[in-house]
This record gives sequence, C-alpha cells and structure tokens, in this order.
Amino acid sequence: MEVQFLYSLITGFFIGGVAGYLGSLMITKRMALVGDALGHAALPGIALALIHEFNVSWGAFPALALGIFLIWLFEIKTKLPMEALTGIVFTASVAIAFLFLPEEKVSTALIGDISQVGFWDTFISIILCIITWLILRRIFSKIILANLSENLAKVEHVEVEKYNFIYLSCIAIVVALGIKVTGSLLMGALVITPAAAARNFSRNLYQYSYGALLIGSLSSVIGIIAFNFFVFPAGPLIILSAFLIFLISLGFKSK
Amino acid sequence: MKNNLILEVRNLNVELGGEKILEDLSFDLGNKEILVILGPNGAGKSVLLRTLLGLHSFTGQIQWQENVHIAYVPESFDVSPGLPLSVKEFFQFKKTDSQKIIKSLQCVGIMGFSKFLEKRLGTLSSGQLRRALIAWALVDKPDVILLDEPMVGIDIHGRETIYDSLVKFWQKKNQTIILVSHEIGEVCKKANKVLALNKRKLFYGKPKEIITPQNLAKIYGSTISV
Repeated sequence: MEVQFLYSLITGFFIGGVAGYLGSLMITKRMALVGDALGHAALPGIALALIHEFNVSWGAFPALALGIFLIWLFEIKTKLPMEALTGIVFTASVAIAFLFLPEEKVSTALIGDISQVGFWDTFISIILCIITWLILRRIFSKIILANLSENLAKVEHVEVEKYNFIYLSCIAIVVALGIKVTGSLLMGALVITPAAAARNFSRNLYQYSYGALLIGSLSSVIGIIAFNFFVFPAGPLIILSAFLIFLISLGFKSK
Repeated sequence: MKNNLILEVRNLNVELGGEKILEDLSFDLGNKEILVILGPNGAGKSVLLRTLLGLHSFTGQIQWQENVHIAYVPESFDVSPGLPLSVKEFFQFKKTDSQKIIKSLQCVGIMGFSKFLEKRLGTLSSGQLRRALIAWALVDKPDVILLDEPMVGIDIHGRETIYDSLVKFWQKKNQTIILVSHEIGEVCKKANKVLALNKRKLFYGKPKEIITPQNLAKIYGSTISV
C-alpha cells in the first residue's frame, strides 16, 4: 500500500468522523446549511493557498474567521436575519475568489484533493480532529439543552453565549479541515449527510452522534478506497458514499 | 436580608420592548414556603418568574439567599418528535444516577420506568412531557422550584395525583416553591402565601384572606366561584 494513499485514508477517516459528529449537532440546531455556506466563504483563502502552494486548510481558516466576523458585525449593524447576511457574505466570498483563482485550480478548490496530503498534514489533522471532537463531546449536552430551552439552560448555569461561540469555532475548524477532503462545494454534505443518515438509524442521542461519527468516517474511507480504483476524484466519491448510506438508512428509519 | 427568608423582592420594575410589564412589586418568601402567583393573562406572572431567575433585566432589588439552588419548569417546552433524545439522556444532562431519576419520576406519578426512560422525549404526550419536566426539575434536589403553569396538558385526575405527591415530596424535602397557576382551588389550599398580580401587586397574603369571591372578581375582572 502506498504511503500517500495511507495518509489520505487516515486524514479522511478522522475528518469525516469529526464532521459527522458535528453534523449531528448542526442538524439539531437547524444549521445544516451553514456548513455549505461557510465552505463557500472560505474560497478566497483556499484560492490564496492554492496559488502560493500551502495547505488549503491554513488558507481556509482565516477566510472563515473573517466571514463569521463579518456576519456577526453585519447582524449587529443591520439586525437583518442571520441567513440573509450569511448569503451575502458567502456569495461575495465566491465572487472575490473567482477574481484571482487560476482556472487549473478551480476543480481542487471546489471538490478538494486529498491525494496530496503529506505526513505533517495528516499528523496535524489528526490532532486537530481529536481536540475538536473532545471539545464538542464536552459541550454536546449543553448545546442540546440550550436548543431545547435557552431559559432552562441558563437556569442550569449553562453559559449559552460562551458555548455557542465555542460551537461556532468548532464549525470553523471542521469546515477548514473538511475543505481539504471534499472541497468548498461539497463540504456541507460531509457535515449533513452522515448525520442525517445516523438520525434515521438511531433511537437516542448516543446512537445519533456516534452513528454520525462512524458514518462520516466510513464514507470517507469508502470514498478514498474507491478513488484508488477509479479515475474519479475522491471528494465526490466520499459524498456519494455518504449519500448511499443515507439511502440505505431510509429503510431503517425508526417510526 | 432577614434570617429565614430565602427571597426578598423590593420595588421590582421590569420593562420589555418599551412596555412596562411589572411595576413596583415587593414581596418576600420564607424557607420551605409555597407561594402561588395568580393573575389574568398578560399580568406579567411568567415574566416575574423569569426575572427572579435572572433571565430579564430589571430595576429594584431581587435578593436570594446565598448559594441557593434553583430549578425551573418553564411554561412552554417543545421537543421535535424527530429529535433522537431519550428521556434517560435528558435526565443525564443533570449528571444524575438512575435511582434519583426513578424517585423523581415516582413523585410525578410515572410508573414503568425502564420503558419510559427509553422513550424519545419528543414522542411523549403533552401530559407525560410536563410530568417529565417537573421530575427533571426535582431530580437534583433544588432548594427552590419555580413552576410556570406546570399542569398545562395534564388531565384533572392527573393534576390531583401530581399535586398530592409533589406536596408530600416538598414537605419531606423542605423545598420552597413558587408556582404560577390559573387554578384557584386545589393549588391555593396548599400554599402558604398567594400573590395576585396584574402588572402591580393586587393582593398578597395567606390564601384564606386572598381567595374570596370579591377579590377574585377584582383579579380576573368577573365573578369566579371557588
């Protein structure tokens, strides 16, 4: 087995897992499309990374942070709904990115390229995935409680604003990492589809969140193995694997 | 703050969205007392509870006894039936063990625990959900419980059972209760104090003194018999 292939497999396994786990929270909070929007908001950073040949995640993260900051700032200034502001920021980001994104790099930016990850990329991705997962696991029940009733959560001394900020930061990290695997266009699916499939399989929160983690990892592994056999890029194959599992899950949907 | 008082409220004013909701409200509550808050719709009862919990800004003074542990049963609590959250997991948010969960479920008249705990929270009937929510508030033995219309959605027989077991539980555990309710009969008999409210304090005192047909007509704006 090629070392390069092994790196891709391990990176995909970890990023897919944490993205799935995060997705179970995002679907519960009805923020499923935020992953998609943020994936697009990261494009200017991805474009810079591809031009200057450094890790796309390092390019994506500051662009995401800037995007989230602008949405937050516009919300304070205008009081317009968050989804409208997200729409404005992410489309503007796409427009800016296409001003300088070289044509030959468009495909990598949009659907990712995990075949190029090296040892350090893999190593840092694993560490970041584990840390983000541990943080998410810690805040999981608090976020769910705050989502059920913010007042009840506050009475239970849950600092809702603080936890929401941590949660948003985790989204930014996972999106930045996931962009490397599935690109800006497909990142949303890496978060949503495994969690949606797990929801159909599960009867409780434990099965749901860990089911999403497993399906996320499994989809990435299947997609990357398929990429080794076929000529198609890995990103779409990963998303299609997740979609296939989602279709299978429909048969298991608990009444 | 005087000894034996768990809560002291002085000249409380609350404004929401430019509208005065509560005006110049003062009352206090001793340890282990049950206070029932009455008033017509829009009187500011729920806002008062939330203000006491620190969820709304206010002017005036609200002073709780130091290190008091407060639980809350909100008026509205909706759970999507699609959310895969079991009743047991909902209780585990409070990091409690199975014995305590079972005890508090008994207090609200729920039997057949193992099956009930595995159910999804969102698939419970509205009555079962209210009971679960009250049990959830009781489970970590708070000093004070604030309940906002806790019996909405529960049938009359169920209400009596729940109130009876709750009052026994409260007396045994020495808990202080603040209860917002539309029910004048059963609830008020169990109370030590009644606060009748319509933005301002209308009446405040022992149930026997407050719950008279004349006073109720003033509170609710029409004749009501008990």
